[in-house]
Amino acid sequence: MSTPSKSKADVLQGTLALMVLKTLDVLGPLHGYGIARRIEQISGDLLAVNQGTLYPVLLKLEQEGAIASEWGASENNRRARFYELTREGRKQLQAETQDWQQTAAIIARFFQLKKEDWS
Amino acid sequence: MKSLRRFFSRLFSSATRRGQEARLREEIAEHIALQTSDNIRAGMSPIDARRQACIKFGAIESMKEEFRAERGFVLLENLHQDIRFAIRSLRRTPGLALFVVLTLALGIGITSSVFSMLDALVFRPYPVPNSGNVVSLNSTTHDSAFEDFSYREYLDLRDKTSSYDGLVANTTMEAVGFSAEPQASPRIKGGMMVSGNYFHVLGVEPTLGRGFRMDEDQAPGRDAVVVLGPEFWKHEFASDPSVLGRTVHLNSTNFIVIGVAPDTFPGMLIFAHPDFYIPLSMARVFATNAQKNFFEDRDDRELAVRGRLKPTVSLRQAQNEVAVLAENLQSQYPDVNRGRGATVHTQFEMRTRPDDGNWKFAVIFIILSLAVLLVACTNVAGLLLSRARARTREIAVRLAIGAGRLRLIRLLLTESAILAFLGGLTGVAVGYGIIAWFQSYKNVIFMSDLPVLVPFQMDQRVLAVTLLLSAASALACGLVPALQSSRADLVNGLKSADVDLPGRKYLWGRNALVIAQVSTSLMLLAAAFLMYRGFQVLVLGGVGFPTDHVLIASFDPRLLQYNTAQTQNFYKLLAQRVRETSGVENASFSQNIPLSDEGFDALSFVPDNFQMPPDRDHFTSGSDAVDEHYFDTMRIPILRGRGFLSSDAADNPPVVVVNEQFAHHYWPASNALGKRIRLGGHSGTLLEIVGIAKTTSYVDSGEKPMDFIYLPLAQHPVPHLTLMIRSAGDPLQLVQPVKEIVRTLDANLPMMQTMSYQEFYLNKAVRGPGIAVKLVAGMGLIGLFLAVAGLYGVMVYNVSRRTREIGIRMAIGARSSDVLRLVLAKGLALVGAGTAIGLIMGFAVERLMDSLLFNAGRVDTFVYLIVVPSLFAITLLAAYLPARRASRIAPTQALRYE
Repeated sequence: MSTPSKSKADVLQGTLALMVLKTLDVLGPLHGYGIARRIEQISGDLLAVNQGTLYPVLLKLEQEGAIASEWGASENNRRARFYELTREGRKQLQAETQDWQQTAAIIARFFQLKKEDWS
Repeated sequence: MKSLRRFFSRLFSSATRRGQEARLREEIAEHIALQTSDNIRAGMSPIDARRQACIKFGAIESMKEEFRAERGFVLLENLHQDIRFAIRSLRRTPGLALFVVLTLALGIGITSSVFSMLDALVFRPYPVPNSGNVVSLNSTTHDSAFEDFSYREYLDLRDKTSSYDGLVANTTMEAVGFSAEPQASPRIKGGMMVSGNYFHVLGVEPTLGRGFRMDEDQAPGRDAVVVLGPEFWKHEFASDPSVLGRTVHLNSTNFIVIGVAPDTFPGMLIFAHPDFYIPLSMARVFATNAQKNFFEDRDDRELAVRGRLKPTVSLRQAQNEVAVLAENLQSQYPDVNRGRGATVHTQFEMRTRPDDGNWKFAVIFIILSLAVLLVACTNVAGLLLSRARARTREIAVRLAIGAGRLRLIRLLLTESAILAFLGGLTGVAVGYGIIAWFQSYKNVIFMSDLPVLVPFQMDQRVLAVTLLLSAASALACGLVPALQSSRADLVNGLKSADVDLPGRKYLWGRNALVIAQVSTSLMLLAAAFLMYRGFQVLVLGGVGFPTDHVLIASFDPRLLQYNTAQTQNFYKLLAQRVRETSGVENASFSQNIPLSDEGFDALSFVPDNFQMPPDRDHFTSGSDAVDEHYFDTMRIPILRGRGFLSSDAADNPPVVVVNEQFAHHYWPASNALGKRIRLGGHSGTLLEIVGIAKTTSYVDSGEKPMDFIYLPLAQHPVPHLTLMIRSAGDPLQLVQPVKEIVRTLDANLPMMQTMSYQEFYLNKAVRGPGIAVKLVAGMGLIGLFLAVAGLYGVMVYNVSRRTREIGIRMAIGARSSDVLRLVLAKGLALVGAGTAIGLIMGFAVERLMDSLLFNAGRVDTFVYLIVVPSLFAITLLAAYLPARRASRIAPTQALRYE
């Protein structure tokens, strides 16, 4: 459990969770591979390294009740697990989107700072 | 909320691990399959496509780890792993595991069975709601703080006290003739006479019918009602609910069944469950003392009084109150209450009263059994330590590849916990066995016609304690080895299996274990021997009269409601016809059987013209009422004066025979013959001492000489008598003829306690105590065996550990005798230290046993002369064998050893 890279992984996981929620919000029910591909398409190579990290995040979200899953048929007609946003997940997404936008706005303002602003 | 939900889903998924694992596998496979087909569509070769898909997915195993960590509790998972691993590694050494489990089972089993004893005798609460506030009230005298009250005194207390939510009184009826039909001959049962508020105040709700009403103990003889005990109802009436309203016959009087007590209330006694309950107002039917009026006489003290203390009243307040009430009684009734106080005892105080020996045995036993458990634990700890040592390399590898020390300790503790758990389970079986063994001695211990119970049982309380013991022994025998071995030196540990060649730090722990074992088992052996010797003294001391060629049989004509004239007539005819029977040398009646538990009445008296000590106004003495043939029949010599004569009848001058001890006690300088004593108080009847009998044993064999008074039966008639018949041949040959005589006199009168006196004496004085001796001896032997096994194991281990060192020593010129001395010296030091400490512990336990059981107050050197050298010799042998093996090691082999 306690690996030195924990903090970094957590940050990644946090953003990844938000991405999963947003993807499911926009596109509706998807299986794991589908989610991975969409996120990859939009985010470029953030997920290109390790698609596998997606699954622990999915499990965590499911345990929190933000998403639900059930078996369905995939494109090549095999069993696949489909994930879907729950009502609670939608609420969570709204709240976190707001948080994220606030944080982003604050960070953006800091990056715009010039020396003159301090004097 | 969110975290709570996650907690539950984690808990759930921990439970459904396999399903989750399969689901993940399937998802991964599908993921990679989809990616592969996408890659193929993008133009890759199938093999390349799959390869790229896998690369893109990333490290599957580390992801799985993360997934698992997310899914369940790591601790729980690890525990599961630990348990599986521990079981696997224990399976690799089944012999060791078995030995450890059996060792612990013996320790735990003995301790839990002995605890069941202590629990029954001391701790188990009364079977009533809120039993904690039920206290006992006792009358106190100069000699005892645990006396009963008379009916009148009970009424006074009940009406004047304000400390209790009700005060109840009860007295046990030892032998009651019971028959369900009027014609059937009565069978002997045991019951309880209780006050009307008994069930109400104790909070006992009858399963059937009702309890007594308050007014049912008001008018003597009016309310002939009975409440049945739950077991009696089951056995005698097959749990028939229509028993309510039926008439049953107790001592030939009709009683109407009004209720059945619940299963949860088997009664307030330890050793018996009352068959039925009768209101006190019916006391006349069961009167024990014909000369006393139960309802009027303030000195007919037969009632045990208990009360429910009000929540607002402290024990001390209640004690003060009852002391004041007793003082009032003293001034109101100086004749019968002078010098009498009263006090309040808790249940615990009642059960641990100083004049009761049973709980003292239980305390001694529990101390000794804990010592056995200690030896077992140290033994197992030593074994586990050696085993951990053999696993040094394995542990070093684990540490080297990153196992945390805590994790490792946990793993090792899990192993000992599993061993202790298995030991506990087996221990329960051992405990059951020991308790069953006790139960099989029931008739020896009690010798009663009534169904008695040995109250020791494996109930939840005992099982809980067993569990606790197992957990404690898991820690005791696992912690030290776990701590030590997880501190292994990695570099050396990986290089060789033998880590601590130079360091001595690790050794002292193991040596301490051996010393503890040797000393504890010395203590156990000493205790066993002391107990054996104590009882030997009692048995060899004899009782002062021959115990063979006597048949005893008891009768109680009250069972058939005989009046006084009928009773006397019956006994007269019985004696007459028995004497005419061939094979009978003599026959006599007495109120009590010598050495019986039922207790001789403590008679209070005042010697005439005697200077009383200032702090007391009367003395007490043991007493018995016997007829004129008693001294002849029992062969108790009259040293001076005469025994009783048939002329010592009711209307003639009252006389008494005392024993030598009594005569010497009160008239050390002059002749006691012709002196007189007053019974009761200063206003009592004057009795003249006409004879002095040899002092014998009265309560226990080998007891200290005690004062004793014999009263002539004709002047002090009692209904319940024992016929003692001296036979020419085998006394049991007379059973049938006597039965025949009784049948012709009254076919309905039962003969009780019919047996040879030899049998009675053996059970009471030899076999009963023998159980205790066997138990303690068993514990001593187990302790000794375990200690020897432990010492042997450690010595063998030491030798094997030093094999190379010994090889080097011998290679550079040491002779085998030097090696022998080297190794043996170590063993000697351990045994010596253990013996020294053991001696101290032995003395301590001897003090304890003396003060609790034997009152000997001296050191029994003989015991130590036997125990110490034999223990020394045996343990030395355990040290010698490995030492000899060490001295025979061939240097060439030893140097190559590893």
